[in-house]
Amino acid sequence: MREYRDNEAVDFAIVGTGAGGGTLACRLAEAGFSVVGLDAGPWWRPLEDFASDELHQHKLYWTGERICDGADALQLGANNSGRSVGGSTVHFAMVSLRFRPEWFKSKSQLGYGADWPVDWREMWDYYGEVEQALKISGPVNYPWGPKRPRYPYRAHELNAAALVLANGARKVGIQWAPTPLATISAPRGLSHPCVYRGFCVVGCATNAKQSALITWIPRAVAAGAEIRDLAMVGRIETDAKTGLVTGVHYHREGRWRFQRARNVVVAGYAIETPRLLLNSADLRHPDGLANSSGLVGRNLMVQANQAVYGTMEEEIRWYKGPPSLAITEHWNYQDQDKDFFGGYCFMSDGPLPLIFAGIVSGERGLWGTALREEMAKYNHQAALKLVGEVLPDERNTVTLTDETDELGLKIPRVTFSYGDNDKRLIRHAQQRMHECLAAGGARDLWDQNNDTCHLHGTARMGDDPRTSVVDGNCRSWDIPNLWICDGSVFPTVGGVNPSLTIQAIACRTADRIRALAAAGEL
Amino acid sequence: MSEQYPGYDVLAKRRTPSWNEKTRQVIDERLALSREPRYLSQEEWLVLEAICDRIVPQPRTRPPVPLAAMVDTKLFENRGDGYRDYRLPPLREAWQRGLHAIDAEARRRHNVGFAALDTAEQDALLRAVQEGALCDGGWDGMPPTIFFAKRLLPDIATLYYAHPTAWNEIGFGGPASPRGYVRMDFDRRDPWEAAEAKPGREVDAARENARAG
Amino acid sequence: MANTQTSTGFGFAALAAAGALAVLANAQRRHLNKPALPPPQPTSPQAQAAQKINLASSLLAGAVLADSAVEHYRGSFHNKAMYLPLAISAQALVAGLQGMVARNAGADVRREASHQLAVVNGAAGLGFHLYNITKRPGGIGWLNLFYAAPFGAPAALSLSGLFGLLAERIRQGGPAICGVMPRRAAAWLTAAGLLGTAGEAGLMHFRGAFHNPAMVIPVTLPPVAAALLAGATVKPCLAAPARWSLRLLVAVGFIGSAFHAYGIQRNMGGWRNWSQNLLNGPPLPAPPAFTALATAGLGALDLIARVP
Repeated sequence: MREYRDNEAVDFAIVGTGAGGGTLACRLAEAGFSVVGLDAGPWWRPLEDFASDELHQHKLYWTGERICDGADALQLGANNSGRSVGGSTVHFAMVSLRFRPEWFKSKSQLGYGADWPVDWREMWDYYGEVEQALKISGPVNYPWGPKRPRYPYRAHELNAAALVLANGARKVGIQWAPTPLATISAPRGLSHPCVYRGFCVVGCATNAKQSALITWIPRAVAAGAEIRDLAMVGRIETDAKTGLVTGVHYHREGRWRFQRARNVVVAGYAIETPRLLLNSADLRHPDGLANSSGLVGRNLMVQANQAVYGTMEEEIRWYKGPPSLAITEHWNYQDQDKDFFGGYCFMSDGPLPLIFAGIVSGERGLWGTALREEMAKYNHQAALKLVGEVLPDERNTVTLTDETDELGLKIPRVTFSYGDNDKRLIRHAQQRMHECLAAGGARDLWDQNNDTCHLHGTARMGDDPRTSVVDGNCRSWDIPNLWICDGSVFPTVGGVNPSLTIQAIACRTADRIRALAAAGEL
Repeated sequence: MSEQYPGYDVLAKRRTPSWNEKTRQVIDERLALSREPRYLSQEEWLVLEAICDRIVPQPRTRPPVPLAAMVDTKLFENRGDGYRDYRLPPLREAWQRGLHAIDAEARRRHNVGFAALDTAEQDALLRAVQEGALCDGGWDGMPPTIFFAKRLLPDIATLYYAHPTAWNEIGFGGPASPRGYVRMDFDRRDPWEAAEAKPGREVDAARENARAG
Repeated sequence: MANTQTSTGFGFAALAAAGALAVLANAQRRHLNKPALPPPQPTSPQAQAAQKINLASSLLAGAVLADSAVEHYRGSFHNKAMYLPLAISAQALVAGLQGMVARNAGADVRREASHQLAVVNGAAGLGFHLYNITKRPGGIGWLNLFYAAPFGAPAALSLSGLFGLLAERIRQGGPAICGVMPRRAAAWLTAAGLLGTAGEAGLMHFRGAFHNPAMVIPVTLPPVAAALLAGATVKPCLAAPARWSLRLLVAVGFIGSAFHAYGIQRNMGGWRNWSQNLLNGPPLPAPPAFTALATAGLGALDLIARVP
């Protein structure tokens, strides 16, 4: 791997190597730029380093302390916060969905949220590029949305948990499909096809999961990028006179270092990105970098991730195969019979024992023999899990506390409360999921109310510097050589998992950067 | 072992393709956990042991899952979850405050420590913590209900199900790499999965579980 | 609901079986009424053709035995009828081998019965497999065609039986079957078998996203060979290219199994994970079906060449 010296200014220093940073590092390196990708996490080798054990594999999650408050204080970890080269794509559930085209103009076309400064037709092509890069395994015919090119690999076989969704959907009269997943159903290069071991969200030891770690990162390295793991960036430095960024301070192998860079891209996901920008405050930028709008850290959005569980007569054994093998996006594309804005999808689920015990005890407060009796039904459980749109609200924020971590960096406070629209969406979704699961044959249904997934919005993109942090090129309005390229830039979240969109935005940003460089505007 | 999956043991698959070297290392460490506290004091440990016995009462017919040791290890390694509810102090402080407060509550009610109470009294006390029905709010600003719901109960419950004995109990397939699963349909199992003892078929299930591997 | 579907499935199978029996009973009657022709010499082209076609029948039966054993084991023999094709293909395999080494020319009633059973069982299998596909959510669609019971697989057993019966008929002196000369019947049966097997391979290779370029071979070469073979029945100049394409196909069967073995080894855990990879990986006994069909086709060409 090509290595750059700290005092040698690279074209791009990218903070974070996940769906945003890893993809961008690859595309920029392939375009000929000199790139260093820094990640706080380790550079895993899945075939050797990953164990079939949930507790041990918590090493994939961000375990630095954050304080969560608000009326609906978030739980973090498996659902949204990775710490690895490859970011959260190392532990994500591989669900790879495209936005409904109208969502890019939610405000002007659907009357809620905010508009993205991008055109859906452009994004459609970038989605195609990402699907090819990850060899997404999806159905030959996808029931929703405009025509898309065929998924590169075929969909996976449904497990029993997914068949419950399919049977239920058929009975209630809505369409379903095998979920397009970033795990391969046939061999690819050095990757093995999925063996249906079911440990997906604690790390794929098969290397079937096409995370950024095994797709974009190796391409980036082959194109001359350097990936520096176990490198926590604590501060972005700016020049006192010009106001431009000059590089990043990072902690590695026991001491602080400084990497010079002509451009800095922040891609730490929606908590670490604003945290870094705010922690980089200086005399010239007392409110943090790129924050003239005051929106850095504001408009934090998650997605509703409630679930309904039930017991089946048959053995389901949902621990086999990826957790979300079947999906319905019916309520993303249907606008009637809704008392809320936005959309949602729901999928079958298959939590492993540790995480399921957390849900049973956390949600229902069961302990004693009641807990063991409930858990004993493990092999007969079926579930449907929601991914629901949450609207932007400036009162949902990531701010700094005065508590510091072991490196002396202020830790974030994550404040979140659902709005009225969110609550109506969740209620609607829970009713529909109940109907579907019952129709699929489950009984003794119960709800998981307290779960969210994904993070977005805290450095939103827009076409007005007063109401956004970055422009349509993911370039910050305030500092022309400071960029943000991760889920933080989403003005809205839609009713689908964000990973495909983040990677598509990164590909688009790379092309924009190339165009700007060619025009001498970098 | 459990009656639902008689004779099923994920550890019997240790040398099969269902386990890899990394998994063996990790599970061996977990099974070798010392039963002595490394972080908590002896008094705190006794309270913790008693609490674990009530949160997950274990059958005497098999070696117990060392829950208290696993919680103590979590504190020893200070292995946080990456976030905490704003009403709770950090991991170690929360647990120590909670253990002391529960013990103090036991003395206030019954004049003896929590570990010396009988199980009915212990259950009643824990229920009072869970429901917030304590006479004294004196947990130094840490709400008992939040400590119970977000720290005590989930920590203990999840650690129990992180142990091979618990996996046997619920018939979980256990470690699965390089070998995963073939048959994923309703009511199908691979020969290396647990066989459920349906009514009248307990002997068959035991026989299949003896062969599972 | 399930009962209706079950009985529908059995209905399919029974209908197919009844139809097959009817055809065979008819053929049997014709056989008994045939004019006595002198049986061919053991070393004549006819005998050689019969031997090839017997070999094809045995190879197909062997492939079905191995394949159905693995696949039905994967299906946990959840329906007791799934044991049947193992038994039937085994006895069809034996009958085919016996036919190959038969000293006395002429048909053997026991061997014919074995082959008839294979034809009927194959037809029943088609019914069962179709039921298995249609009962799943999504019915007849890509997902179930990929992962439910492989629709065309039982046809291989019927083909084995039909080839076996054809070989017996040729050894008798080859009277026409329902008005079709044995050489034509052999060629067309082979061509149909090649197209069907190519279709099955194509479906499975499509499921595998043609991740390896070699996966197009069993989809392209067999239809070409089938067209040449069918053409050779009317245009003698096509006989030579047909023969070469069939010989190539014989090799493809073995090469295919080698590729499939590589595929198994290449999956997670390789051969050590055989308990998963032999079931989930590419099926080893499938490619030799092409060897079998090509052998039958070569036998057909032997017969065609004999007629000026």
